[in-house]
Amino acid sequence: MTRKEYLIRQKEEKGQKLFGIFPAYYPKEILWAMNVLPVEVWDPPLEFNHANAHLQPYICSVVKLGLELILQGKCETIDGFLFPHTCDSIQNLASIVSDYLNLDIPCYFFYHPKAPYSAASRRYYLEELNGLVTRLEKQLGMLDFSALKQQVKKGNKVTALIKEAYKLRACNELRASNTDFYQVIRGGEYLHPDDFLPMLEGFLSTSRGHGCKGPSVVLSGIMPNPPEILKILDEKGVKVVDDDLLNCGRRLLAPESQNEDPFEAMADNYFNMPPCTTKNSSLKARADYTFKKIGRSKAKGVIFYMVKFCETELFDVPYLIEELKKRGLATLLVDCEVNQGLSGQLETRVEAFVEMIS
Amino acid sequence: MSLRKSVRYYFMKEIGAPALMRFSHLKKKKRPINPNPNFGPALKSTNRLKEIMARHYLLSRYAEGAKPVAWVTSGAPVELLRAFDFYTFYPENHGALCGAKKMGPELCTIAEEHGYHQDLCSYARIDLGHYFSGTTPVGKLPKPDLLFASNNICQTVVYWYKALAQYWNVPLVLFDTPYNFSAITEHDISYMVRQFEEMIPLLEQTSGRRFNYKKFQEVIRIAKEGSLTWGEVLATMKSRPAPMTIFDAFGHLAPIVSLRGLPVALDYYRILLRELKERIESGVGAVTNERKRLMWDNIAIWYKVRDLSDIFAAHDMNFVTATYTNAWAETIYDLDVDRPFESMAKAYSLVILNNNLNHRLELMERLIKEYQVDGLVIHSARSCKPYSVGQYDLGRILMDRLAIPSVVIEADITDSRVYFEEQTRTRIEAFFEAMES
Repeated sequence: MTRKEYLIRQKEEKGQKLFGIFPAYYPKEILWAMNVLPVEVWDPPLEFNHANAHLQPYICSVVKLGLELILQGKCETIDGFLFPHTCDSIQNLASIVSDYLNLDIPCYFFYHPKAPYSAASRRYYLEELNGLVTRLEKQLGMLDFSALKQQVKKGNKVTALIKEAYKLRACNELRASNTDFYQVIRGGEYLHPDDFLPMLEGFLSTSRGHGCKGPSVVLSGIMPNPPEILKILDEKGVKVVDDDLLNCGRRLLAPESQNEDPFEAMADNYFNMPPCTTKNSSLKARADYTFKKIGRSKAKGVIFYMVKFCETELFDVPYLIEELKKRGLATLLVDCEVNQGLSGQLETRVEAFVEMIS
Repeated sequence: MSLRKSVRYYFMKEIGAPALMRFSHLKKKKRPINPNPNFGPALKSTNRLKEIMARHYLLSRYAEGAKPVAWVTSGAPVELLRAFDFYTFYPENHGALCGAKKMGPELCTIAEEHGYHQDLCSYARIDLGHYFSGTTPVGKLPKPDLLFASNNICQTVVYWYKALAQYWNVPLVLFDTPYNFSAITEHDISYMVRQFEEMIPLLEQTSGRRFNYKKFQEVIRIAKEGSLTWGEVLATMKSRPAPMTIFDAFGHLAPIVSLRGLPVALDYYRILLRELKERIESGVGAVTNERKRLMWDNIAIWYKVRDLSDIFAAHDMNFVTATYTNAWAETIYDLDVDRPFESMAKAYSLVILNNNLNHRLELMERLIKEYQVDGLVIHSARSCKPYSVGQYDLGRILMDRLAIPSVVIEADITDSRVYFEEQTRTRIEAFFEAMES
């Protein structure tokens, strides 16, 4: 079943509302509990036709493709949009979509504190969660508190399985290819947990076993796009053993909170997430986190998957690369537009990187 | 803090700097007056402005070790730091200065050689270029003891200052201002006030001084007065002809950005205001034959201020307002000495770049009406995404609503390598035609 078919089925047969969610952090459990299926918008496979009339050439392709998706009329089944406050471009895109496109679709905004090490932040985050619920209730009806508790537990189950998959991957106990692994993990960007959980369970039970014996790498950056790189790594026998990708490991691997209060549990999950530039984590915290991953998985290098013009990530990279080089680790910086595919030059660079770590 | 350095600092402040200023003033050759017939006489206050800023940069060299030094973002609530007697330095102001002196590409290239991508903000690249090379047009910059950033102007400053914090090995204090998607709420204000309360012990520790509430209130009063006076300065351009251009105002902006909350800034704006009022009374315009009045959107193109000023003046067009210069007059006047923390939270979170696009649209509509604007020049600045994303829509809507023609200049604030002379000229020529039709 294609993604589109799945979404239509969820809406028509299961009566779920569909929300388009822009990157990156948001309290998905609240949406699940309100019978909303969050559909994340990271890299829709589109050509730019209309977005350039609204956005400058120096705006990243994640933001542009998200707008293009709307402008091409591909969001007709969508019942709402949620814009987390991730970066300057998404922030202003939210304003454009909400105010200037004449859409009859409600837009919601979610501000997560950027100083998460301050005591003031946790209280604010809890207030933001409550504020979001209040706004959503106007469209979707009252939130059922017990349903939220259940969804938080379900979210924890999803996290536990994803963590298990990453753990197996790090110790080479998962047979799946790099391409297959990320295809499964990214399923969580649109699948309901009732469907995603069995998918993860099935994946884990069928994929256990020794992986290939080639050299291993860690991924960092935004997301595994262009996916062709994963394919090359598969062909060359290189294992991706872990990642610090914003749309994968960085937001999916927080310790599961056991707090009985669902709001407190969601706050725990947010504040316990790995270091992230969108939350003002220090460079050292990010570097240490990356070294921990490398140490655990014995990776020989790091591939940075950058999206062109993404200031959020690009500012952290020089320091991270410098520190990795000091430790004798290989690095490859891939800086390209989403869905751009693999140019001959990039392919050569990937191959040279693989030779370096082999 | 070292006693020797303190003595040296205060000697320079009270005796050395004023003497040097007098000496350099005497040494300066008189330029021919008013060489360009399209402009009225130069503002006399500009000499005082140059003295103030030169003294500020000169003293900063001696501040290290004598006073706690903080590097601050342009939109951060510096009033709190002044209560601890921090010497404040503004990398964005320094970036603008480097841009105006056409040093942007050189410093940006140094940062790029250290891995900082050319797509990143050029203020940040200039600053990092300075870190890696020590290059600056002002001799030497003071090493910071603390970095103070607020994301009310962009998230970029947070990424940039995080890198500085790592390299300089100093603490970074972030004032996080929730973005105003629709309205700033009470819980947003409480969050910001709690952050101020949490900052105070760290500021006490870094500065070695106890928080002095009365001094803080006095700083708030001066900052408010300074902002109000700056607003009056800008408002003089409502007159026809306007007594100065927005290109002048880009320069006169420096004290309200870098010296806000200090008496020197307030005193300066009173002097400037007096001169501008005199010009209005005498009917002296900044552009000799002001026929059309324009608005500028976004930060200046610092390396092209003079050129652009000449091009537009040659067509008898004067820039009389800008969303950029207005930013320091827009909300800071709302500071309240009796509720300093709450009012500071509100004033700093409601600035233009922390607000949704509709807020900017309303502001632009108001400025267009109040300043009798005939046309709009939009600088689409690669370095500044929160300022630039949405500009295409804003330009279109303003054309629909107010029949205001506009032109978009794709450029950058300080990195002249992405300024395309021919393309810009062609666009501006087309704009002139639209303005005259």
